[in-house]
Amino acid sequence: MATTVKDVKKAAEALETNKDLTTPAVKPVTLPRDNPVVYPLTLPESEARLRTPAVGQRASRPDGRLHGLGQTKYIDDLTFPHMIHAKILRSEHAHARIISIDTSEAEAMPGVLATLTGREIPVNSFGPTLQDQPVLAAEVVRHRGDGVAAVAAVTEQIAADALEKIKVVYEPLPAVFDPMEALKDEIKVHPPASNIYASKVIKKGDVEKALAQSDHVFHRVFRTQMVEHVPLEPHSSIALWDGNGRVTIYSSLGRITLGREDLSRTLKLPQSKVRLVGTIVGGNFGGKNEITNEPILALLSKKTGRPVKCTFTRGDEFISSTIRHPFIMDYKTGVNKEGKILARKIHLVLDGGAYCSWTGTTIGKGSILAPGPYEIDNLHVEAYAVYTNKTTTGAMRGFGAPQVCFAYESQMDDIATKLGIDPLEIRLRNAFSEGSASPTSQVLQSVAVKESLIQASERFGWEDRPR
Amino acid sequence: MKQRGRGMACMWYPIGFTVMANPSAATVKVNTDGTATLLTGTVETGQGALTVLGQIAAETLGISTDDVHVVSGDTDSTPMDTGAIASRTTYVTGNAIVRAAEAAREILFESAAPLLNVKPDQLEARDKRIQVLGFPSRSISIGEAAQHSESVVGHPAIGSASYNPPTVALDPETGQGKPFNTYVYATQIAEVEVDDETGEVEILRIVAVHDCGTAINPMLVEGQIQGGISMGVGFALQEEILFRDGVQVNPNLTNYILPTSLDMPDIEVELVDNYDPTGPFGAKGAGEPTAVPTAAAIMNAIHDAVGVRITSLPATAEKVMTAIMEQRGAQEQRA
Repeated sequence: MATTVKDVKKAAEALETNKDLTTPAVKPVTLPRDNPVVYPLTLPESEARLRTPAVGQRASRPDGRLHGLGQTKYIDDLTFPHMIHAKILRSEHAHARIISIDTSEAEAMPGVLATLTGREIPVNSFGPTLQDQPVLAAEVVRHRGDGVAAVAAVTEQIAADALEKIKVVYEPLPAVFDPMEALKDEIKVHPPASNIYASKVIKKGDVEKALAQSDHVFHRVFRTQMVEHVPLEPHSSIALWDGNGRVTIYSSLGRITLGREDLSRTLKLPQSKVRLVGTIVGGNFGGKNEITNEPILALLSKKTGRPVKCTFTRGDEFISSTIRHPFIMDYKTGVNKEGKILARKIHLVLDGGAYCSWTGTTIGKGSILAPGPYEIDNLHVEAYAVYTNKTTTGAMRGFGAPQVCFAYESQMDDIATKLGIDPLEIRLRNAFSEGSASPTSQVLQSVAVKESLIQASERFGWEDRPR
Repeated sequence: MKQRGRGMACMWYPIGFTVMANPSAATVKVNTDGTATLLTGTVETGQGALTVLGQIAAETLGISTDDVHVVSGDTDSTPMDTGAIASRTTYVTGNAIVRAAEAAREILFESAAPLLNVKPDQLEARDKRIQVLGFPSRSISIGEAAQHSESVVGHPAIGSASYNPPTVALDPETGQGKPFNTYVYATQIAEVEVDDETGEVEILRIVAVHDCGTAINPMLVEGQIQGGISMGVGFALQEEILFRDGVQVNPNLTNYILPTSLDMPDIEVELVDNYDPTGPFGAKGAGEPTAVPTAAAIMNAIHDAVGVRITSLPATAEKVMTAIMEQRGAQEQRA
């Protein structure tokens, strides 16, 4: 149902007449520019924040109040004297060798203060497990989101205009986009290395024997797509290189300790000369777990002696930041007549895009979680991550778990349908209990899967649903 | 015609990875008025982590959430933290904070013990006071204890500590071992309406029941679950980055369709009553798992409504309609 003007008016009237403590006693003050409505700052504190014991209280968030008042300062809200703006030029090809980059025309533009290419970055590689990703591509571009050059100018518009004056000569290379094609290694994304850059195996019991002894074997292939985190706040940073050779970087990064290590490494600076400040992040969901433009801004600040800011456009966010791994999931599950799972054989292929990023964690969690929260004595999970000339996949809320859950839970319902067992019942028959062994034979504690099934079914009215 | 269907999905999700070192450190300083400052190297990414971490420090010191000011996210002033990733903040950083606050509290106990004529181990911090166990009337305020520690004893109440879920290697051949310290569990049930003439799916209702161990702040867990479901809805029905020859064709919010408030179903959230002895006050985590079972539950509900199994996400109207038409074709052939 759409909200109408009438609804808004009604709500406003209700606020006017409502005299309880949650409503400000004074009318909102309207300020002219960027901070349109500021309520009086004497709002009463939520009582839950004042109570002891503190644990279990529905305490309100201090940052929530600032969000509500429009007082939160995200990176893009920050400004420093003489600050300039950077933009990054992205690749024109999915896979190509860079023959030359000519920035002279861009540098000659009025208002442009500096340019930067990959060759100027002291250590031009990063990544949480494999350092296979350049900060700015210097020799080869491996997907359309690779940056090839950056410009710092007095306004964002001049920086954007200057990107168009940079002349990059490419020699296009054959590209591979389909992960199943990439598995064949006919076109390599990081030659001479194989496209398969991560793998994982979990073995338990005798899966082939148990499948052969099963009353029913269910087989299906499931696929998931690439999705973006789409945080409301795109990646944003400001770098200030000071006269002592120390650099301060304000960044929307969600892991500053390791971020500082990455900056120290790429800039070849001692960690004591790097200060990384994280402010309130406007949504992360795994997408802000590694450096992006920070080293570029630091070097542009060093070149110009000015604070340098870069906030990604929504387009930058989509094409150059990491996204969720698409999975191709082959599930073969053997069950007995009662619907008890005897064996599960799973083959996963992860489309990794151009660089490794957080694939190690994704393939690890995805593989371990792939059999589902069920007691299964015979398991074989095999997973491969493969490079393609597409957007880099990385950490995203669940690290592979939403993908495999779609597969294992869809197949649970396939089994239930075929055997004529209720979906709730088939899950209860197979689910972990306290002390169950996980796929890696870990003895599980504080297990609550059956409790959650029963509680959710009761709340939903599962037993009474129309059938 | 619009057909209704219901589907469920359960899931498990790990908290506190152990395959590599996963430490967090924290510092807790008790001020002389009984309030405290917590230093953490993690960052608020919108999930309410700093509020939860403040509550954990407050609980350990026996003070209120509002009494703790949290300083975060500056490599110059805050201690090491592995970061706001992998649903680890409440569990790992929280465990470090419990230990740091306990160290600060111990200093208060040592200073207060002679004033109350007991041994330090006979004291507890509760309701903003340091009091003798079993004799709550014999007490001094936390502020007095902190003032005494700092100005008379000369031992300011500051505690620093770290926590790392014990690192263990997995068997390289079989992958067997203990890759995570603990796990959380959840079930979501979806009710949908599928238009069998257009393939359009409307999600009417989602019931979400999640385990996160102790909910340090139930309101923030509920918020996480609602947000996670919105992501799950997008993953299930709408969101997809499309490519043509390696070029993204929809890198904008006009053509990359995110669920809006109008796409959201009624969400009913409940928490499972649970306690994990390895977590801070029994807590585990809640961030990522909330987005895990949503798409699976919706696909099972679509199957229940119109009998088609969607095997690739997202279940766009076109894809659902194609599946319905294929099913009709197969039925006609059989007839």
